[in-house]
Order: sequence, then structure tokens, then C-alpha cells
Amino acid sequence: MNQMVLPLQLQDNAVFSSFLVDGNETLVAFLIDAVEQGSGHGCWIWGAAATGKTHLLQASCALAGDRGVYLPLDQFLEAGPGILEGMERRPIICLDSVDAVAGRGDWESALFQLYNNVMQAGGSIIAAANSSARKCEFVLPDLLSRFSQLPAFRLVPLDESGRIKALQLRASHRGLTLPEETATYLLSRTRRDMASLYDLLDRLDLESLKAQRRLTIPFVRDVFSDLD
Amino acid sequence: MESDANLWDRCIRSLQAELPEQQFNTWIRPLQAVEERTVVRLLAPNRFVVDWLQQHHLARIEELVAKHGNGCGVVIAVGSRAPATNEAPVERASRPSAPEAPPVSSRLNPAFTFANFVEGKSNQLARAAASQVGENPGKSYNPLFIYGGVGLGKTHLMQGVGNAMLAANPRARVCYVHSERFVGDMVKGLQHNTISDFKRLYRSLDALLIDDIQFFAGKERSQEEFFHTFNALLEGQKQIVLTCDRYPKEVSGLEERLKSRFGWGLTVSIEPPELETSVAILMSKASAEGVDLPEEVAFFIAQRIRSNVRELEGALRRVVANSRFTGRPISVDFAKEALRDLLAMQDRLVSIENIQKTVAEYFKIRVADLLSRRRSRSIARPRQIAMCLAKELTNHSLPEIGDAFGGRDHTTVLHGCRRIRSLRETEARVDEDYSNLLRTLTG
Repeated sequence: MNQMVLPLQLQDNAVFSSFLVDGNETLVAFLIDAVEQGSGHGCWIWGAAATGKTHLLQASCALAGDRGVYLPLDQFLEAGPGILEGMERRPIICLDSVDAVAGRGDWESALFQLYNNVMQAGGSIIAAANSSARKCEFVLPDLLSRFSQLPAFRLVPLDESGRIKALQLRASHRGLTLPEETATYLLSRTRRDMASLYDLLDRLDLESLKAQRRLTIPFVRDVFSDLD
Repeated sequence: MESDANLWDRCIRSLQAELPEQQFNTWIRPLQAVEERTVVRLLAPNRFVVDWLQQHHLARIEELVAKHGNGCGVVIAVGSRAPATNEAPVERASRPSAPEAPPVSSRLNPAFTFANFVEGKSNQLARAAASQVGENPGKSYNPLFIYGGVGLGKTHLMQGVGNAMLAANPRARVCYVHSERFVGDMVKGLQHNTISDFKRLYRSLDALLIDDIQFFAGKERSQEEFFHTFNALLEGQKQIVLTCDRYPKEVSGLEERLKSRFGWGLTVSIEPPELETSVAILMSKASAEGVDLPEEVAFFIAQRIRSNVRELEGALRRVVANSRFTGRPISVDFAKEALRDLLAMQDRLVSIENIQKTVAEYFKIRVADLLSRRRSRSIARPRQIAMCLAKELTNHSLPEIGDAFGGRDHTTVLHGCRRIRSLRETEARVDEDYSNLLRTLTG
């Protein structure tokens, strides 16, 4: 009989300590400084999907506490830009997937207004998108020029060893030990993007708790018998 | 009741464990809890968040607050516990000059002064006019209309006028407002039946500074209201300063009577800064941040980033951030490394092929014409402009550029570049075409 699993897993929140900083030390230091000291005006973070943009935005938000807000714009497309109104009341505004609203006049106009209001109030905008601001195809030149004022940081996809380290770091935040050979095994047999790998880790976490087993290759093979 | 920090902390810990992280960060994290006797007042950033919470999370929040707070209730409203960190110095309230005048917040950024505005050929006239207006509001040029592309310093000059007025008379009723906000305030006034307060506020000013009036285009009701405010202020010899991204007559969707009034005072333009001004701007901004920026680095950044001052600022901030967080001094190589992605993107944009394509489109000719032997002026002039742009924006040698333009000799390229440089001094049209293309290719 399977052991019943109580909701006692360690919190696995997106915080700075669970982000693999390799190669992005400046950005992480910049964000921590921006949130803690309220210095600067924010930044523009760009990079391919699953490079850690959302993680960094949420980590910034977590550090800011009730001074911050996280807004994934792609999820508000239908609801419209009303969500942005008055957001300058919070000094740290984390805008995810800004590219999703590029080319939409009502959104661009609302973002433009928000940007002006936030800067006027001395706050910061931490924006993230798949591409640089210039490549975002904004129709409002005023908005593009304002986003260009923010220092831009590009997140580079992790290489093989980086993915292994990131996976191990995430596992350790959940109180799990993920041996390197098990991580390598996972990488060689599954989708390699970080989002998929973290999903696998979720499942392994649950299964190892149920089975009370370590994350060895035989255990992983048992769990994902369909992988081989 | 437990102290609210503890109470709300306990509640959010539970909510954090229950909700997906994204939802938590969007809806719960920004709530600010305020202690009241028998209720916890949760302040949300806007109405949208309040509505969402009421529909999706209020029941659970009430449950948790009641549990941890011995039956305490919950009220959710729009607001903030305290102003944002730096709000105070920005919001410089002007005192009413007459007892009946409503209080007004200037909304000026005190950092925008004439003292730290870097002057160059491209903005000399606009700066002189703005400075004059700051010294003699309502008397010298009224309205002062400043126009030019994005990120060239219009807002800085406009706010410089306001700050100069407040420095001379702290009781002056100055108000800086972006045109979008003017429209928004007016709509709210109509919705909440407070339009007379709106009118009274704007018509009681000593100076009204409205930014980016192109956003009035097509908004007839706002134009109507602005028209009356404009007349009232001008009649009272109060100062009006307006900015726009183009010459007033060229703004479509604006009423003719407004356009003609905009021309009553002085209309001045701001052009993109020339290289030396860009360098001076970078040096000034770096110095303001206490950063020691070597001149050769400023030249390097200014040469590579030509579109507007905001982009220059973004690049400088990136270099400064890298230096600050790595502890390394700023040099040209360091700046190249810090701006690697930005410059790579720029390089892709300014290949010879792209320059030829952009120039051909601009002059409505074919790329093949540029590469051909044809020497009619309608072809030769764009060809010389394209060659000159290739020399200025790429690292290709003269022979390489000649090869790319149908196998021409390097002396032909050299002649073309010199010709365009000289024509830019004497023919405004050539200078304008060249500047437009330069901005298209680098912005």
C-alpha cells in the first residue's frame, strides 16, 4: 500500500538563493540592490523561454514583500490593461512577458502611463520579455524609448553542466539530494528545457516521499519507466 | 488581537502554501495590512485587484484572519500604507496663492533643471527659450511649444521651466502633467461628477506644463476642455508649456483652432544630439551618479548608440551596473563587454545590405539602382548617402564599401562621403534625409 503523503514538502519558492547565478552575477546583484535599496529605476531582462526570467521577477517580488507586485501580462490579455491602473502605488513593479502586449495600442498606452507614474513616484520597473525592448515591435515609440532607458540584461540558456547544477540546486531547496549521475540520466532522456526538468523534479519529489527512496537512477527509471 | 504584523504574516504564510506562487505574488503579496481595532484593513494597489480578491480569495482570507485574529474581520480597499519611498521629494506641493484655489501638486521631478541640461547645437534654441520662460513666466513666449523625437530632452526642458519658477517663487502654482493623465483626470471628473473641481484646479494655475500633446489626437472632449483651460490661462497671463513629437500643424486628429493657438507663442524644435553633445550628456549623467567615466568610453558609447538620449542612458546604466557589481574599472573594452548584446543587435541592423535596403526604401528606388552605373541625381545622391552611412555606421573599409556598391573604386566612396558631409552643411533637405536615415538605422 502506498504511504499517504502529507503536504510537508519544503517550500520551493522562486527566491534568489534557488536561482543558479552562474554567468548572471551582475544581474542578480543589481536586482537585489534595486529591491533592497530602492536604487535605480529597474531594468529590462530578456532571453529565450525557460532561462529564468520569471524566477528572477518572482524572487525580486518575494524580496520586496508588500512593496512589490508581480504581473504576468500574457495572462491578462483578455482582461485588458485595467490591471495596471494605479500600480505605481507599489514601488517595485515586476512585469513579465511584456512582449505579449507589444503592438496592442491600449496596453502600450497603459504601460506608458504606468512607466511615467512609477518613475515620477521614484519606483522601479523590472520588466522581462523574450527579446530586447527594441525587438519587441512596440507601436508607441514613446514607450520603446522609455524602456530603452532601463539597463538591459540578457539571460543566456544554461549549458549541460549548468542545467545539472540548476537542477541540483532546486532539489536541495526541497531537501532532496540529486546525485550528478541521476541528473545526467534525466537530461539524457527527457525534454531538456528547464521548465520540463523542474516538472520532473516535482514528480520525483512526490514519488520519493511516497516510496521513501533516494533519487538514484534505478528509482528514477522505475518512476519514469516510459522514459527508456 | 495579535499584533497585525504577526497576524497578517501568519495568514500570508498559509496563503503562500496554498496558492500557486504566481497567483500569490500577483494578488496577495502586494496587499498592505493596516491595524484597526476589530478588523484588518488590506490595502490593494487598484480596484482590479480588490475585485479579484473579493471574487476569488476573500472567503479564505476572512477565514484565516478570523482564525489567527480571534474573530477579527477583513476590509479590502484601494490604497497604500505610506507613500512610495521617494515620493516625497518628487511631489512638491505648491501652496495655494489665493484661499479659494485648490491645492495642487506640481508633479515636477526636481532633478530636471537647466543647470544639468547639456546644451549643444541640436537643442540650443529650445534651451534658451525655456530658460527665458522660466525667468519671465507668462511674459516672454506663451505658449512655449517644444517639439522633437522621443528621448531628446523635451520633458527635461519643460520641467526645467517649472522648477525655475518654483525656485524663484515657491508659492507659484505650477503643474506638470502628461497629456494622458490630463485626459484620465478629466474622464474621472466626468464619471464622478467632479468636473467642476477639475476645471477649477487647472484654471487656477500659474503655469501648466503638458507633455506629449500628440496624445490628445482624436480625443475631442479632452481637446474641448483643454481649449477652454488654455484660453483661461492665457487670458490671465499664466504660462503654458507644451511638448509634442512633431510640429503642431503635423499632428493629425487635433482641432485646427488648437493648432493655430499653439503657434501664438514660440515653437522650437529639439534635434537628435550630435556626437559631442551625446558625449557631454554621458559625462554629465555619469558625474551626477558619482561615476568616473573616461572620455574615450563616453565617445565609444556615443558613437555606437545614436538613436536618442534615453537609449544612451540605458547603455550607461548597464556599464555602470557591471562596474559596480564586479568592482572593475570602466574602460572601452569593459564597455564593449557590458554592451555586447546591444552592440551585436546594432551591428546586425547596420550591415551594408541593410543600409542599402533602408536607403532604397526611403528614396523609393530599387537596391539594384544603388548598385547600378546610373548617374542621374535621383540615384547618385541616395547612393552617396548610403555609402556615407556605411562608412559612418560600419567598420568596413572604403574598398569594401566600394565593392558592395557595384564594384566601385574606393576613391568614389571617399568622394561620395565628402560630398554628403559638405551638402549637409549647406542643404537642409540633405541633412534632414541623412538624419532620418541615421535614426532609422540606429534606433
